[in-house]
Amino acid sequence: MYELILILPAAALIVSIFADVLWMSYMQLAVSVLVFCAVAAIALSFNSVTVFLGGFFFVDYINLVILITVSTLELFVAFYSFGYVRTEIAGGISKRKFKFYYFWKNLFIFSMMVSILSNNLGIYWTGLEATTLATALLVSFNRTKESFEATWKYVIMCSVGIAIGLFAIVILYFTTSQVYGESLRSLSFINIMQAGAKLDKNFLMLAFLLALVGFGTKVGFAPMHNWLPDAHSQGPSPVSALLSGVLLNTALLGILRFYQINGAAGIYYPRYFLIGFGFFTILVSAFSVIKQTDYKRLFAFSSMENMGIIALGFGIGGIAVIGSLLQIFFHALNKGLLFLSSGNVLAATHERRIDKIRNLSKNFPVTALVLLFGVMGISGMPPFAMFLGEIYIMTGVFRSNILLGFLVFILLIFIFIGLFGKILKMYMGNTDNEEPGDELKNGKKAHKEVNEGAIHPFMVYVPLILLLLSSLLLFYIPSPFLNIVKSASAEFGGRIIF
Amino acid sequence: MIMEKIAELFIILILVSVVLNVSSPFIKFAIKLYSFQSLMLAFYILMGAVHFNSINLYGSFAITVIFKVVLIPYFLFKTLKKVKMDKEIDMYIGIPEAVVFAGSLTLLSNLIAQKIIKTGITFGSFVFTISLATFLIGAMLMITRKTLFSQIIGFLTIDNAIFLAANSITHGMPLLVELGVLFDLFVSILILSILILNLRRNVAV
Repeated sequence: MYELILILPAAALIVSIFADVLWMSYMQLAVSVLVFCAVAAIALSFNSVTVFLGGFFFVDYINLVILITVSTLELFVAFYSFGYVRTEIAGGISKRKFKFYYFWKNLFIFSMMVSILSNNLGIYWTGLEATTLATALLVSFNRTKESFEATWKYVIMCSVGIAIGLFAIVILYFTTSQVYGESLRSLSFINIMQAGAKLDKNFLMLAFLLALVGFGTKVGFAPMHNWLPDAHSQGPSPVSALLSGVLLNTALLGILRFYQINGAAGIYYPRYFLIGFGFFTILVSAFSVIKQTDYKRLFAFSSMENMGIIALGFGIGGIAVIGSLLQIFFHALNKGLLFLSSGNVLAATHERRIDKIRNLSKNFPVTALVLLFGVMGISGMPPFAMFLGEIYIMTGVFRSNILLGFLVFILLIFIFIGLFGKILKMYMGNTDNEEPGDELKNGKKAHKEVNEGAIHPFMVYVPLILLLLSSLLLFYIPSPFLNIVKSASAEFGGRIIF
Repeated sequence: MIMEKIAELFIILILVSVVLNVSSPFIKFAIKLYSFQSLMLAFYILMGAVHFNSINLYGSFAITVIFKVVLIPYFLFKTLKKVKMDKEIDMYIGIPEAVVFAGSLTLLSNLIAQKIIKTGITFGSFVFTISLATFLIGAMLMITRKTLFSQIIGFLTIDNAIFLAANSITHGMPLLVELGVLFDLFVSILILSILILNLRRNVAV
């Protein structure tokens, strides 16, 4: 059962080299559904830490939360890709190109699963670097100048960042090898946690800081975030959804592992660094959201903001950790639906700029509605599930420090105004600068009428289902999932501060 | 004792090659220097392997030679040939200043290493100092030079520094992990080469 999560994407990866694209899209549906079922079965029957494949991989409560997030979003993205491939091929993109799309996407999923499930920190690192490489050619999928430049920035910055993460692992290895000797056991997470109190505290702290900066580059924490908006906005929309929704969490998992190890050794001050980075990330993204002109970049900055909130929650501890874990799942769903529905607009109009798109509600009734409600959801408004995560985190923040709470609250309002104002303009506003007959007068070809009919129905309705699911989850969270989240938050338990 | 001295010689040659890299604007030379630098790193690992008689380190030596000394420089040369570029034109600071800066970074890393490392390291804190210096100078290369190739060289230098650190404070990472890391490095160089070629075609780099 556990092995299936790794084997299925690997099998799909190999098949995608040989198979025809349209056939492969059916295959991909089957693989994603099976992976989802496997993860669901694990989640339903899970009761303690399980090690598999010779001790190199394991499932505990924390990576189970991220595993559920990945498999759920992957399921929706697979259905969306089914329509996306057909729409783009009808629009004139060669089938050959999409063969690579499925190849790299499966490699991406596979390496992400390796990294999430790994018990060995070295293997975690290898998987995380492999995700950068697998997504590199997906980000440059459109082969434009901008996309190549974005990819270059992405690969160089993330590779250097993760190299610093490797330094952290080396230092951790040095520390643990004094307990276990120099073997693979010294990098095994479970063993390190058991040895916790015996480890050298100075080196652990150093390792945490290097990991925070290194893996933090890939999470998109503020001073190291320059690559994020470019890379996330240039890729094809389903890939953007996966990058923003789940890859950032995979990188965050690395930081959390180091955080846990520090906690096991009795070092509690790393949490101030998490709070600091989290807050600074929210601050930077709040000011960046306001001046964006490209709607996919807008959502990329919103992902950054949410990673900041999640890091803040983990740093605060206590009830905020529950909020952060819920937020990981809800943010993935919500960001997925935003990227997917904005992908519809992009696929039909080939226009990225916010001020070029007006009156969406007329030509794209379903997509526009999903987009509007999705933005409400991502800002944490009540009928959607992210409200729950954010209210837990904000409660935690307010309880620990009222001033910090107010600051974060004001920044969240900033972000809400920035996002909502822009999307609302896309939703209804008339095209400001040109009169209706202007284009005809100038002798240009009249603007081609594009509407939802041009795109595959899967692309229209998958985001809608995600939206409904996101709304439903506010009122009813399945109790097995809630139990997993509670148990996961208990693993950060020693640091409850109220 | 004599082995330690020889090992230190290799380490010093690594630092020398990095500083030479800073002082030269030629990209072909930089790739050759990288290859040389990796060879010195491999010899250092080999010294450790002979000294401790560890199979793990022999394996590490072999894969370092295969990936870092042969494969990566080979592909970089191939890309360079296609791109037809031989000299770094754009630098934020001139070569003399950069060399002085590299020297001061070495001093700085000596200070840091003295603080961090107290006792009980394989070959003393000397190797750690050099690896920190290499790390910082590699980062400086990435920041001060604009050409895409120089950024790759800087990244590879940083990577060598981390391998050196891994071999100085411990007896190298487990072979499995090291293999994964090197393979990832190799693939990332391939992808960066593809990107360079594409960027070259679309834009004047």
